[in-house]
Amino acid sequence: MRCPTLLALLAGVMLYLVMGALVFRNLESPKESKEHEKLLCTTRDFLGNHSCVTAQNLSDLIKSVVKAVEAGLDVKHSSTNFTSRWDLASAFFFCGTIITTIGFGNLSPRTKWGQLFCVCYALVGIPMFGFLLAGVGDHMGTGLRKAVWKMETLFLKRRVSPTYVRVMSAVLSILIGCLIFLAVPTLVFKEVEDWSFLEALYFVVITLTTVGFGDYVAGANRRDGDLFKPLVWLWIVFGLAYFASILTMIGNWLRVLSKKTRAEVEELRAHATDWTQNIQNMSMDFRIPNPLDLNDTFLLQRRRWKRSTWQRVRRGALGHHGRQGFIGENGHLPNRWVSHTRSMTRLEVVRLGGGEVRNEGTRLRPGAVLGADSRVSPRSEGRLLGRTVARSLSMPAARSVMELDYDLDPVAMMMLQGKSLSESPESDSRSEVSSSDSHTSDVCTPGQEITFASFDASGSLCTEERGIQGGSRQVFFQEDVRFPVLLQQLPKSHNPTKPIPMLPIFSVKPMPLPMPTLPGCKMLDFFGENLAYIDESSDTLSDRNQPVEGAVSPRPRKPRRRSIRRQLPHRSPLKERRDSDMLPPSNPPTPPPLSRLTQ
Amino acid sequence: MSSGYKSWILLTGFILFYVAYLLLGALVFSTIERPVEDKLKSDIQVLKEEFLNQSCVNATSLENFLEKVLQANKYGISILPNSSASSNWDLASSLFFANTLVTTVGYGHTTPLSDTGKAFSIFYALLGVPFTMLVLTACVQRLMHPVTYGPIGMCRQRFGLDPLAATAVHFAILLLLVVLGFFVVPAVVFSHIEDTWSFLDAIYFCFITLCTIGLGDYVPGEKPGQKFRSLYKISVMVYLFVGLMMMYLVLRAFHRMADLHGLTSFFQLPHCDEDIEEDKEPIIEAGDEDQHEAEASAKPLDPASQTSYNTINR
Repeated sequence: MRCPTLLALLAGVMLYLVMGALVFRNLESPKESKEHEKLLCTTRDFLGNHSCVTAQNLSDLIKSVVKAVEAGLDVKHSSTNFTSRWDLASAFFFCGTIITTIGFGNLSPRTKWGQLFCVCYALVGIPMFGFLLAGVGDHMGTGLRKAVWKMETLFLKRRVSPTYVRVMSAVLSILIGCLIFLAVPTLVFKEVEDWSFLEALYFVVITLTTVGFGDYVAGANRRDGDLFKPLVWLWIVFGLAYFASILTMIGNWLRVLSKKTRAEVEELRAHATDWTQNIQNMSMDFRIPNPLDLNDTFLLQRRRWKRSTWQRVRRGALGHHGRQGFIGENGHLPNRWVSHTRSMTRLEVVRLGGGEVRNEGTRLRPGAVLGADSRVSPRSEGRLLGRTVARSLSMPAARSVMELDYDLDPVAMMMLQGKSLSESPESDSRSEVSSSDSHTSDVCTPGQEITFASFDASGSLCTEERGIQGGSRQVFFQEDVRFPVLLQQLPKSHNPTKPIPMLPIFSVKPMPLPMPTLPGCKMLDFFGENLAYIDESSDTLSDRNQPVEGAVSPRPRKPRRRSIRRQLPHRSPLKERRDSDMLPPSNPPTPPPLSRLTQ
Repeated sequence: MSSGYKSWILLTGFILFYVAYLLLGALVFSTIERPVEDKLKSDIQVLKEEFLNQSCVNATSLENFLEKVLQANKYGISILPNSSASSNWDLASSLFFANTLVTTVGYGHTTPLSDTGKAFSIFYALLGVPFTMLVLTACVQRLMHPVTYGPIGMCRQRFGLDPLAATAVHFAILLLLVVLGFFVVPAVVFSHIEDTWSFLDAIYFCFITLCTIGLGDYVPGEKPGQKFRSLYKISVMVYLFVGLMMMYLVLRAFHRMADLHGLTSFFQLPHCDEDIEEDKEPIIEAGDEDQHEAEASAKPLDPASQTSYNTINR
């Protein structure tokens, strides 16, 4: 957590305390002074009625009686047959309150040895109870998460926004917990202990939060029978475990959300800066119109029909699973080319639904895919890549095997030499990963938690994440372009549930990027198609459409060989391609050795 | 799967062991405390007899009187002549009460009397307890870097210890410092300020407070005629907060150490691995990257260690 946030939180807690103090003072002081008055009256009356008692005698008596009461004695019933308060059941209950750190205090050790033993006992018992709570909470939490996941899938089938679903499932689970562990015991205590409803609720809350004042203690009257106390203790344990697991779940969600937004923003900014630099350098080198003007809608319109090739880079958006994203802290590829085209607006729409949550135990990513941002670092972010990949590797949630054996070279984005992208390694991995995909024959599998595709030898990083829904966006990189180009395509109207393999490719080196494309996955529009001018090798497009040996996925489209050098607009192919099935790019015949991208 | 079963079996084993532990504690407490209680009870009986004998008070009226006194005492009101004139609910005491409520210590020496107070404490606690936990966790996360990761890294680099030994040594030193600084020293201070407390009482109080048990049999600042009562109570509050933070820090360092030594995997308990990554991320500078990378990549993907999280992998 960042420093300013932390300081703000601390200030918040201080303010909260002061506010509470003020309210309590105003609420309680009047009652307190009234009680004081009443007591004085009683004392005066007593002394008056019984004149043989001196004030000193009385105060002595009272002092000793109070001390006895504080020791836990019950002096009101002065029966001579003495039943100790330290019978086994009560002592068991006392130990339970010590270990759960509730500490009612209605019974406490008075002897030196008792206190010493209490300290040692608690030293061992509290961590042990912590473990127990963790274990119970874990199992409960798993069941809880399953239930939440089931609920979420139910909701998501109706296309409800994932964030909304997450919030609702949290609220629902809290409500259920409250019902079982708060409402029912309140009613029980109200009946058994003969308290008012408010007092019973007060006791339940104070106990379950482990505050444990001790002014109300269930089972303090021993007439309730010996079975009552252990039952109360059991309720305490399960209630504590349940609420601990809920709190952990919510805390994780919040933490991931905040990290995600922060990481996104930072990465975006960083990559935008890099990319701008790149573009400007390249524009100087190649004397092309400033690609940054591509953001200009008008210019873009003009350039569209001058385009030579429609390179589409398919980029699978990350339905990301927390840190399993392959780039960035949360697996977001940077959205570098924010275009004003309608693809962008679609992107926004899709992004709104993103409710990615990283939860160490939760496999629920219903909306994550849709909401993921894809970012590609154009530079040789091999380091960054490696770091994020390594980070993802170390993520406990990264259950799936990540066959990232890309080397740290900048995952080259587009190959200028017109080598086509290959997808065979990825498709292999994907096919084994994909289980029951109703949509396509390829590996886009909804319901899969997370999968990472592999890299092929050329070092292109291909990661796929499939959320529960499987929807993902793909980014295609223009093969022929030297620039890191990021295409974004939104899963169109069609199926947000169709998983789209994500393929981040970057580098400014002229190397072909094997791009796995999955049939059936959406293609992304390439925003900077203008940059295709630059490339001399023009075979990429055609290669991409060609079936390559080893490629598992069928290629529905015939690759078109076109020189990128030509500046003819080829809009139709792109449109065609856009509308048709996904085209897996073919493998480059010989992947060029990757070299570290130097800026 | 076997690891799932194993986890269940371990959990059941834990529960049984826990129940046995409780029974043992109950037995010991019973044996220790019962004789003392008997003696106290008989003393009180004798006192009452004497009082009744020498005065014209009859038993019933005395008991009524005592009941009222005890009721008032439960709320912290005393009729003893030298009781403090200050209220239990002035601003400092209310702040102290709110603090004990929010940190879940909950002494119980003062409790809300009115119904409104009780209702308000319910909501206050429901909001404030998670809030405080969040703040404490955040503080501990930030503190972990200079206190734990830094010294451990330094240990490894300068003394060339391997990670396991380094963490163990560091944990031992941390524990010793915390015990000295947050138990022994405050106990000495408390035993000086509070007349009726011995050193053992003060250590007992520190321990019971910092574990948030808060029995309430010893509460600082309740002595009548306490000088600088407000300041005293507020400093106890600060001590409570900082002490809690240090306890969490020690717990987390212990958890990390257990992770490294494989204890948590052995007992199939949740790791704090992800926290490590998170904690490290904000402070990763360029120089630390390699180390972080190396550590991160060296961390094994251990599916067995995350059994419980795998179960909803559908």
